[in-house]
Amino acid sequence: MPRFLREYFNRNGVGLGSVMLGLVLFWTIGLIILPQLSMLDFSFRPNLPPPEIGGPKDLYTLENYKYLIFGPEGGSQAYNAVDLKVFYRTLIAAVLVTLFNLMLCYPIAYYLAQTNGNHIRILALMLIIPYWINEILRAFALRIIFGESGVLNNLLVGAGVFDTPFDFIRNDIALYAGLGYAYILLMIFPIYNVIESLDRNQIEAARDMGASWTRIHRRVVIPYAKPGISSGCTMVFMLSAGALAAPQILGGPSSLWFTQLIYQQFNDNSDWPQGAAYAVVLLVTCILLVLALMRVFKVNMGDIGK
Amino acid sequence: MKNFSLMRISIWVYLALFFSYLLGPLVIMSVTAFNSPGFPRAAPWECLTFEWFSALFQDERILNGIKNSILVGTGTVILSVAMGLAGALMLTQIWPKLRATYYTIIIAPILVPGVVIGISTLVFWDRVNRMLGLGADSLLSSGLFLTVIGQSTFIASYCMLVLVARLQRYDNSLTEAALDLGATHAQTFRKVLLPFMRPAIASAAVLAFLASFENYNTTTFTFGEYPTLTIELAQKVRYGITPAISALAFIIVLLTVFAALANEASIRRKELVAAARKSATVEELESGKLRLPGFLSSNTAAVVLVVVAMMTIAVVGTATVYSPAQCIANVKETKRLETDLRIQELRQRRAEEAARRAAEQAEQTGQEPATEATPKPSNNSGFGGVFAPGTLQDDSTEDPEATPQEPANDSGFGNVFDPNALQSD
Amino acid sequence: MSAGVGVNLEDLWIRFGDFVAVREANVHINGGDFFSFLGPSGCGKTTILRAVSGFLEPSEGNVLIGGNNMKGIGPNKRPTALIFQNLALFPLMKVWENITFSMEIKGASAKERRKRADELLDMIALSGQGDKLPAELSGGQKQRVAIARALCAEPDVLLLDEPLSALDLKLRQHMRSELREIQKRVGITFIYITHDQGEALTMSDNVAVMRAGVIDQIGDGKSIYNDPNTAFAASFVGENNVFRGTVKKVIGNEVMVTTNRSGDLMARVSSSNVGKMKEGDDAMLFIRPEAFSLAPLGTQGDHFVTAQVTKEEFEGNVFNIFMEGEGGKEMKVSLPNLGQSFESHKGEPMTLEYDVHNAVALPAGVLATE
Repeated sequence: MPRFLREYFNRNGVGLGSVMLGLVLFWTIGLIILPQLSMLDFSFRPNLPPPEIGGPKDLYTLENYKYLIFGPEGGSQAYNAVDLKVFYRTLIAAVLVTLFNLMLCYPIAYYLAQTNGNHIRILALMLIIPYWINEILRAFALRIIFGESGVLNNLLVGAGVFDTPFDFIRNDIALYAGLGYAYILLMIFPIYNVIESLDRNQIEAARDMGASWTRIHRRVVIPYAKPGISSGCTMVFMLSAGALAAPQILGGPSSLWFTQLIYQQFNDNSDWPQGAAYAVVLLVTCILLVLALMRVFKVNMGDIGK
Repeated sequence: MKNFSLMRISIWVYLALFFSYLLGPLVIMSVTAFNSPGFPRAAPWECLTFEWFSALFQDERILNGIKNSILVGTGTVILSVAMGLAGALMLTQIWPKLRATYYTIIIAPILVPGVVIGISTLVFWDRVNRMLGLGADSLLSSGLFLTVIGQSTFIASYCMLVLVARLQRYDNSLTEAALDLGATHAQTFRKVLLPFMRPAIASAAVLAFLASFENYNTTTFTFGEYPTLTIELAQKVRYGITPAISALAFIIVLLTVFAALANEASIRRKELVAAARKSATVEELESGKLRLPGFLSSNTAAVVLVVVAMMTIAVVGTATVYSPAQCIANVKETKRLETDLRIQELRQRRAEEAARRAAEQAEQTGQEPATEATPKPSNNSGFGGVFAPGTLQDDSTEDPEATPQEPANDSGFGNVFDPNALQSD
Repeated sequence: MSAGVGVNLEDLWIRFGDFVAVREANVHINGGDFFSFLGPSGCGKTTILRAVSGFLEPSEGNVLIGGNNMKGIGPNKRPTALIFQNLALFPLMKVWENITFSMEIKGASAKERRKRADELLDMIALSGQGDKLPAELSGGQKQRVAIARALCAEPDVLLLDEPLSALDLKLRQHMRSELREIQKRVGITFIYITHDQGEALTMSDNVAVMRAGVIDQIGDGKSIYNDPNTAFAASFVGENNVFRGTVKKVIGNEVMVTTNRSGDLMARVSSSNVGKMKEGDDAMLFIRPEAFSLAPLGTQGDHFVTAQVTKEEFEGNVFNIFMEGEGGKEMKVSLPNLGQSFESHKGEPMTLEYDVHNAVALPAGVLATE
């Protein structure tokens, strides 16, 4: 037995050590690595009915990926404009939602972290409670508000701002509001954690030297809070790009989300390999973007953690 | 100083806006739970009713969903906490060279989109199922199994983070001391490490359960024959929203507030007890006669908790007795009167319209349209006998003309959720 | 409670990769002895302790307890109990639960354990404190609980890892005698590691002096103090003045060394080096501060030293006189205070005399750093 293995069992005991090792291997290999590889492999296969899988027709093919870019064979367009457009829109929207979220949450996180007092605890609690509510219910709540006969329209029409109810849903405003709403907590907490550890004296010193608030934030707070900010932005971006419930419930007819395409492929078209290919594209893009982000802001993996 | 208070005020304004954005939807939704219209509405307020709550408790699908959610939740908690703990322990023991890679792997599931995890779980275990030659009703294709597996993949990562935080404060010499005194590894784990980790394990378990309960993205691919509550809710969108869902939301909000208060109260109490122990003398401890502070003393959270509990009981009591029937009848009557009024107005307008047209015609043709212009209820309206007052008496549905909004909304949902309508092929 | 179980280390080597932590250690510890490993931090004494208790397997060689080879036997199966430097009391268990942990492992009932805990609490003078948590105890109290916990396990050998280093001076001195008491009463073998030579000398039956993984000398306090084997042992244990030079002449078990600054001096060769020192060897001559006495100024000879006085101190029981030494290091002379009148000679030369038998010559070697 190799030496490190022997030391491992010495340290943990044979029984306990095996259980631990077993669980970790099951998790890392069986649940994290293998399924992703399997999905990747699957995306390169044609869509065959179950009996034919593994049979002679089961060859590697790029047709699923080609479909994303070029559309159906013999179709009328040169490129799969619809799906591609959806893809780009999803990414850009995710970026916008992230930025919106960041601007919304940064002041709150800063305020929570830098002031103290009992009311902070209550505020934090009020912050957390909405998140224990099901995300579907939250989306519904927003739908009620943004609907044609919802509270917001009632207010606006009643106050005479609009003559007819404004269709928030068709204009994607409801969707953006919903997405922003969903991930506030995930943006606030990393930033809060980082800023909390910032020595208040630094800010005091800067104030003493006559720095304006914008300068203080730009030169003192933000550089320090970079890991928290990038951690929050990464999470919000990934979650927005991968969101499914909010687009399904709050999205208007013209704002299809890429994840909805994947859902369709699986459930409506029963074209699993196609869906898998789309999923792979989504995953790879998100990873690349996040890695690029991390490099630009010089943050690494270890900083991402609650 | 003026600057300062201006900033203060703007901070408070910002906070107020922010929290109304955050909590507003929930408040409004709770209000709709008690309002009688069939579509969740906060305004106009019609009647206070508890019928949506009873509708909720009778909804088979919802109850089934709750049952499945609990099953899946339990399975996920067990698996996630176990894997998370194993992962955390391994992290502290693994070679430094391998540590970064290992950490990246077990953190990755948090960043991977939930749909991707759902799909990959489905695809992979389907293939395993086929490789092992098992049929479609094997354990490996059970929705329960797949959902628990899929959710645990990333929920274990969250658990691991919570557990590692606690584990880092563990003094390894405690394990050595236990071993040295003759304990086996299993005994050491049970008697020394687990008690130390207990608070973190509890947190991780709660976290895991909540995350599992509310998960949608992953579960939507793996649920098979076992739809969870979240899935049922999402599907309800197709069949139409009723305030029963608002009622559910309200109950969940209430439970959450309860849980938060209870948690606060117990934390506060622990603090008080520890403080009392510290200042106790040896005899007080020995004899066990230490006077502990009362349950409610200097514990605001506990007080609020008790108040909320009592209010809830009072409300529930009223609910069983109260009947909104009278109110609903009143509302219906009011609506019918309104409808009648509107029909009258409409008829009048039509008559005037017809008269005007007749007058124009008369001008053009020079004939006497007088006889034809006289409005006769049954001829000129072109609506047939629909507007005859009698026909509306027994009709319980509302006239489509009078309230054009509702159906549009219902079908509006159908449109949104019908993805085929949007594809260009 | 078995008394008199001996411990043997045979040709023990412990390596971590390329680093040699313990080099060819051969130690025989008598059953019932209070044995100390003495040395500066990093010398390998903790490593030896962990090898004896079972947390480390030696790279080569054997550990025998009571004549049985402990190879491959884990720490929970060895008849040893270890008292950790940070005590490692279980923070979530009460004091009595801590003490009787070894009984709980074996399945004893709560009643039995409570009874035994009370007995041990009496022995360590902490009666009635059984229900406290470790966090509620003082340093010295925690110390005693750790000892009680180890003794409750009824080990054949008790291992102590610098247990007194975290205590203040008065408490440390008090605990020294207490530990010795307990050991004599209970009669089991104690293996004690420390860097404080005062502790080692006062408490132990035998001491092993270690430096950088090598055991320089094993012996009782007197032999190590009076007859050190190496320059390190001579300078580490107690205070000592060093005279560097080369061997001029060997006369039986005495030697004449031409020192760098003080002329030719005679000294006794330490027993382990008799016959090993030759003319021309680099040598170090060691004379303890208390070995000097005043001599008429200017006297020359092979057991006289003259130097400039730099500083004088009165320490109550001794007069400490510091004089210019070689290499910038001061020479220290301690004259007993017998009520004699004493004039200050600060800034002036002074001549000292010593008995050749009290000076030890050793091959030049590494000295203990301050």
